[in-house]
Order: sequence, then C-alpha cells, then structure tokens
Amino acid sequence: MLQLVAGVARADHEDSFTVHGFGTLGVARTTSDQVEFVRDISQPRGARSDWDGRVDSVLGLQANWRVTHNLEAVVQGVSRYRYDRSFTPEIAWAYLKYDPTPALSLRAGRLGTEFFMLADSRLVGYSYLTVRPPGDYFWYLPFSSIDGADVLLSLPLGDNVLRGKVFYGISDSSLPLADRQWKIDGSPMVGGYLEYQLASWQMRLSYANIKFRNSLPIAQDFYAVPPALLSPAAVDASLDYLETANTRSHYYSLGVVYDSGPWQLQFMLNHVDQGSNAFESSSAGYVLAGYRIGQVTPFLGYSRVESERRANRMNWAVDRVMADSRSVQATTIVGARWDVARNIALKAQWDGIRGDSSSIFPYRREQPGWSGKLDVFSLTMDFVF
Amino acid sequence: MISHRLRLLLVSFCLLWLPAREALADLVVVVNARCGVAAMTRNEVVNIFFGRYRLFFNGREAQPVDLTDSHPDRARFYSGLVGKDLAEINAYWARLVFSGRVQPPHKVATPDEVLKWISANTCGIGFVELAKADARVRVVYELPQ
Repeated sequence: MLQLVAGVARADHEDSFTVHGFGTLGVARTTSDQVEFVRDISQPRGARSDWDGRVDSVLGLQANWRVTHNLEAVVQGVSRYRYDRSFTPEIAWAYLKYDPTPALSLRAGRLGTEFFMLADSRLVGYSYLTVRPPGDYFWYLPFSSIDGADVLLSLPLGDNVLRGKVFYGISDSSLPLADRQWKIDGSPMVGGYLEYQLASWQMRLSYANIKFRNSLPIAQDFYAVPPALLSPAAVDASLDYLETANTRSHYYSLGVVYDSGPWQLQFMLNHVDQGSNAFESSSAGYVLAGYRIGQVTPFLGYSRVESERRANRMNWAVDRVMADSRSVQATTIVGARWDVARNIALKAQWDGIRGDSSSIFPYRREQPGWSGKLDVFSLTMDFVF
Repeated sequence: MISHRLRLLLVSFCLLWLPAREALADLVVVVNARCGVAAMTRNEVVNIFFGRYRLFFNGREAQPVDLTDSHPDRARFYSGLVGKDLAEINAYWARLVFSGRVQPPHKVATPDEVLKWISANTCGIGFVELAKADARVRVVYELPQ
C-alpha cells in the first residue's frame, strides 16, 4: 500500500516540467487587390486575391516548470508573420507565477495583456470557434505583451466567482507604418478588470491605458514636403498637433460570454479614446453564436467598428495622417469549426466586410479605387499538443 | 391479443435496455474522506474541475484529478456535468494553459488510479462509478443521468 502511495506521489512530480505547443496552418484570400487584409495591425503586408499563408499561420511553444506546489515558471515562444516581415520567433511571455492561495495569483515578468476579454489567447486558434478574433473589435489592439506584473484575486459569492485583476507594465512592441516602424516599446500600460462568473455566464468590465513614449515616424515625410505646399511653420505646427509622445490612450470594454451545452455566445463592446490627434477614437462591438452538432460547430457573427473624425484637421498633410486611422465598417462572419481529430480542428470562414471607402486603418497598402467592400475566405487547421 | 403482444414487446425491450443501463452506471464525484466535505453543488464541482475556483467551502485547497481522453468515463463526466464534448473541454484548457492562468487537473489513465490519487491527497477530488466508491472517499455529488 505504501508503495502505491509513493508511486502516485512520484507521478505528481513527473509533470512538474511540461512542454506544450499550439499552432495554425492557414490560408486566406480576398476579393480585392485594392487593399491587403491583415489579421491585426502588427502585420506589415497582407492577403489579396491570391491565397496567402502569412495572415493566420502561427506556431507557439510553451514550457511550464512547476518549481514548487505554488510557484511556476513559464516561457512561451511564438513565430508568426510580424512587423518586420519575418517569422522571427519571439519570447512572447516569460514570467514567474506565485499563488499564495488558490484565490490569489501573482505574476511578474513578460506577460500577455488582457486589454479586452479573450485578448490574451488571440493566437491560439484551437481555443476558439472562429478562424481569428473578429478584426473590427481587435484591430485597434496591437499590444500583445508587457514587461511587468499582475495580480488576480478570486472571491466566491455563493457558488459563483468574482474575479478582479490589475496589471502594470512596459510595452515591448513595434508597429509597422508604411515602410517604417513605430516603436511603442518603453510605453507604460496599466489596467484591470472585474469579472463575474456564473455557471454558464461570464461578464467582464475592463479598463486599460497606454502612455506612448515615442513620436510617430512621420517627421521625415513632413520635412520632405516642398515649402510651397506646406510652410516650415506649418510643418512644425503639424508635427506638434500630431504628437503621440506622452499622450495616453484609454481602452474600455464590456464582454458577456454564454457557454452551455452545444451553445456558445459572445457579446462584446469597446471604446478606445485616443489621446493623440494622430488617431481617431473608435467604438466597436460584435456578437457571435455557435451551435455544436456532433463534431461540427457552425457559427454566425456580426461585428462593427466606427471611428470619429476630429473637427480640427489643420491642413491637407495633417488630414492625410489622421485619415490613416479611420475605420467605418461592419462584417458578417459565417463559418464552421470541425473537430476532426483529437486536438485538431479544421475551420472554414467567410467574412463579408462592408464599409466606407474611407475605412483604411485595418488594411495595408490601400490603392485608389478602394470601395470599402471586401470578402475574405479563410481555411485553417488549428492544433495543440 | 394486441395488448399481450405489446406487453411482450415492452418486456423484451426492457430486457434489451437493462444491460445498457448497467453499462452506463452512475458517475459520482468523490472527495478524500479526510477532507471534511460532505456535499457539493454542480457549480462548485464545475469551479474546481474548470480551474475557476479551487478552494472548498471549508477553505481547504481542492486537488482535482481527471482521466485521460482514452477512458470513456471522461467523456461521460463532462457531458453529464456541462453538456460539452471532449473537443470543447480540450479547447477550453488550451485557452487557459496558453494564457498562463491555471493548469488543468492532473490526469491518470484508470478509475483505480483516480482513487489512489484521491487517497494520497488529503483533499483529492475526482469522479468514478458509484460502485467503485469505497471507504477512502466520500460521495459529494451525483451526476444527473
């Protein structure tokens, strides 16, 4: 008997070090050559009317080392098409997690950010229904990790659970803008959420902000404008007006998820209040419903985003920069997930994007003649191991 | 005559049905008898097995144990508890594991190992067929059939 007990205890220690992975092999194509479609704005180039494997393909590896019962070290490396047009692997996360009790969790290191609900698992296609998180909702969210710390507290209320989290950290990302990169590393982010979990319902209110450290890489372009078109004084005034350094952007969101039996429903709203005149503030939302029939889950969704034009547009050059962050469009999503084998899912999806021709923020390399209307077809195989 | 045949049909149907019922014996959630937990609600069981909240009402930490996919009781357990199939359960854990929140319950291959795990951990909790629940454990929740 003692031997048996010892055997079980040993088995417990065997999984103190684990390596797991996730990935997606995906292709996407659109019905337009006037814009390039990207998964999020961290990608510098995207899909046009030919099948393109860059948009959704990703590979991630994660090692967990349980040092003691309540102390864990986690490192996650991810390779995906990123701001510098390469698939260079990055350390997405590397942190220590300490849980003094199961109700309190402290983490420090490089962490995933949860600006919006489900935002910290955006790359793990196997974990959700759709091919990718609805873009209209997530496009304004290019941040994926911070170097910092977070605290998560869980409280039981009857047999429901109330959760609260706060985080603080420094961004380490870069965003592609035309042929340059805007470094947002060094920008402090702070935020938190309050979440109420019932048997099948989950509701979350969240808030976060980022204070940008750097200016947009646009000064060169402004200095290159002939004085006849824009006087040197106007150039200085423009750059002042479009300053991003030391401005703060605020992210508010509300999410409701219903998950019971064959049903999965999601309802999300957000508002982004941009501190810099260079960006338009925006509001977005989506609804998504899926119903499982055997191993196949068809789903249907609708998302919408609308940004607000600022009244003061100063001059034509400023107007052009401001117009870059405009998005006014709605998307109908129809698709199906097929759980074809253990830990493997195949997905097919159609996105019918209907927007204004001024809606260019979510795309790359827009050409004259862009109508705002675009259909996207996607096929993916998602897996975990 | 017709009613007689009908009765015969019903009886033979029941005879066919009985072994099937027996093969699907009731699954129950059991906790180490020394933990001091007598009964749980469905939602409390869900909280522990889905990593939402892993303290019992008496403040002691739950140590859940799960079966591997290859054992049929695993699919029956999650289907009975939350109406989800294993692909959905595995997708759920993919989200939590790769967002670094909670680790899934420890997994073993057989109900006997489940019972061993539970008796080796003061507040071990797992699921087995009712007939397998012995003196080492206490039945705290019965899954609806």
